[in-house]
Amino acid sequence: MNTRKNQRNLTSTQRTRFVEAVLELKRSGRYEKYVRTHAQYFASDGENGLRVAHMAPTFFPWHRQFVLYFERDLQLIDPSVTVPYWDWTVDDKETSALWSADFMGGNGRDSDGQVMTGPFAYSGGRWPITFGVTDEKYLTRNIGRPDRPIKLPTKAELDGALALGTYDTAPWNSAPDTQGFRNRIEGWTVSETKGGYLHNRVHQWVGGHMIGAASPNDPVFWLHHAFIDLIWVRWQRLHPKSGYLPSEALAGDDPESGRVISADEPMPPWNVKPSEMFDHRPYYQYEE
Amino acid sequence: MSESDAGRNAGRKSARTAVTRRRVITSGVTSAAAVAGTVAALHPLLTAGQPAGPAGAVAVGGPAGSDGSGGDVEVQPALFDEVYRGRRIQGFTDPGEDGVAITVDGEALPVMRRVDGSWISTANHYQPYTTPLATARAAVDVIGRAKLSAAFAQLHHH
Ligand SMILES: [Cu+2]
Repeated sequence: MNTRKNQRNLTSTQRTRFVEAVLELKRSGRYEKYVRTHAQYFASDGENGLRVAHMAPTFFPWHRQFVLYFERDLQLIDPSVTVPYWDWTVDDKETSALWSADFMGGNGRDSDGQVMTGPFAYSGGRWPITFGVTDEKYLTRNIGRPDRPIKLPTKAELDGALALGTYDTAPWNSAPDTQGFRNRIEGWTVSETKGGYLHNRVHQWVGGHMIGAASPNDPVFWLHHAFIDLIWVRWQRLHPKSGYLPSEALAGDDPESGRVISADEPMPPWNVKPSEMFDHRPYYQYEE
Repeated sequence: MSESDAGRNAGRKSARTAVTRRRVITSGVTSAAAVAGTVAALHPLLTAGQPAGPAGAVAVGGPAGSDGSGGDVEVQPALFDEVYRGRRIQGFTDPGEDGVAITVDGEALPVMRRVDGSWISTANHYQPYTTPLATARAAVDVIGRAKLSAAFAQLHHH
């Protein structure tokens, strides 16, 4: 059984094996497809057409499938590897071992944001950025956004979102009046100065590649989204009678018809139904 | 190397074409704007909360056809045109669903509209901004001196 662990509990060997598998995926050229897929499926709710990865109820099941495919790709390289999760309510400092030179590497330097330490530093020659928002070839970070400092979400903030008993509400988008767990976690509803809410603020806090459309260029993307996935698991445990919404396809005259995927409609690009992703246990478990 | 460079150049060319197809930016308009402080003049327009979508576009059409340069394009005034932290940022009304097109040093910065009328860009994908100018400046804050990738812009913009 695949067990996803808190990154802080990994042994040094486990850390190294995860890093080496990610680097091998990069070397083989198969990493880039995740960057492309993420950018391609980031549709916004002020536009027409289907939204699947963000600003939509499928935010959780889509990313669950996305991380799972990535994990399976890693396991073709090293079957012992699973994606660890980063609980940013606990490991909330730049001094966390998450950012050490044998794991994710550290912050970007002041001049150009370039990450200079760890296995993903450009100077190591194993992590060239080949597909990004800019032509820069090196990974960038700007931890904590020092020019306008922000903090990672607290446990209290996360608990506040977990307490919401409704998965999602019409019109199933990112507007502040779209109440419910999914939109609160995604985090579109807070002002510019605070830097978004839970999920979005973590992207903001890391900075650099993590705040752009090519965010999976930073391998910490996977650790962040594994925790987002665990948050969904925790919410399901807390609210066993609350399910994914919308449970049925929206009526043809609904303005969101054709723009939002209900429980048993296929999600592109894999044509997996959200309902196939509700229960993580057939695929992996979490060690908490 | 030459293959990837060629690919990049091809991508950049078509990204530029995509922008140019939708409007003609005359150097006269833009340099005058930069020099004469048209940015300041347009500022109230930008901060007043533009109507969503193309309805908010400033309807300036005429001159394109009359100078004999082809009648299938329309001249749109720049929403803003300034040098911010060493980068030239320009914004234009756009008939597409985002309502605005932004460039940094002439390269397209893809933007998306949120349901509340704010924008996100490829540089700031998890943080919306309420005006096109703020979206452009914030993108420069993030990318620094780096050049926007035309290949990425092409993939991103649907
Ligand atoms: Cu994310």
